[in-house]
Amino acid sequence: MSTLHVLSQSPFGDNRLASCLRVLGNQDALLLCGDATYALQPGSPPFEVLQAAGVNLFVLAEDLQARALDTPDWAEAIDYSGFVELSIEHDKVNTWL
Amino acid sequence: MAKSLLLISRQAPWSGPAAREALDIVLAGGAFDLPIGLLFLDDGVFQLSAGQNAKAVQQKDLSANLQALPMFGVEELYLCADSAAERGVATDALALGEVNVLSAPDIAALIDRYDQVITL
Amino acid sequence: MNTLNLGDRAIALDKDGYLADLDDWSAEVATALATAEGIELSPEHWEILELLRGFYDEFQLSPATRPLIKYTALKLGAEKGNSLHLNRLFKGTPAKLAAKLAGLPKPTNCL
Repeated sequence: MSTLHVLSQSPFGDNRLASCLRVLGNQDALLLCGDATYALQPGSPPFEVLQAAGVNLFVLAEDLQARALDTPDWAEAIDYSGFVELSIEHDKVNTWL
Repeated sequence: MAKSLLLISRQAPWSGPAAREALDIVLAGGAFDLPIGLLFLDDGVFQLSAGQNAKAVQQKDLSANLQALPMFGVEELYLCADSAAERGVATDALALGEVNVLSAPDIAALIDRYDQVITL
Repeated sequence: MNTLNLGDRAIALDKDGYLADLDDWSAEVATALATAEGIELSPEHWEILELLRGFYDEFQLSPATRPLIKYTALKLGAEKGNSLHLNRLFKGTPAKLAAKLAGLPKPTNCL
């Protein structure tokens, strides 16, 4: 079974991102939205961790744009319909509240 | 066949409602005989520190409530080994017996096994 | 605020008729609460009320039906720890009614 993990909180405030990466299965995907997209701040520790992790990474485009961030080539930017598709493609969604 | 549910409780016990809410969901699920598991992750492992005192902060005794899990039919209890180690929580002296201490790959497999997951 | 009048004492109850202050409980109070529910307490009732108070002491919460049955079976054996016996004693709603008579809060997990 595959899980879509959804993070929406800044990686600089707590350890959700680190914990999520730790328990991510190899069929799983990670979606960053809201303040979690700050993880793609170039040169930051979370950026480097994600780059090295080689996970299936998606990011909500509008949240990136709002924050003046770019999509690195190892992530895929999606809109809300993409979010819905991802949710359906995976067996379950785990939102890290 | 009812869908199985894994509750991931990752907040410390006394500073907010998350730990209590996670337990309430699990107890309600157990009361209805749903296949349900509870994983303590991150600061959630502090819920299992021995010798806590709810009265000191005028709160309901979450530690005592946790002891009721087997009575509610919730036997699948798990703890993240890394979270405990990072926080200096000794897994041989937890406030809850019968907890399975799992490595990160085991937790990935655990999440995979359940139909639904809620992280609080 | 509901009250239970017992001689010259007025004991505070919550909106569902459960004791507002758990320390107000006594055998007399239990008997009066039972009378109000149309139940005459037999030794079989008392044993469950004592059991429930033990449950609350241990776990700091009121059991829903399933855990009540399980706990009763554990402490008193299967011939008493079953829904038939408990339903008969407490008019079909043992978790709610027995908790009330035992002076416990209303079980929160009986949705």
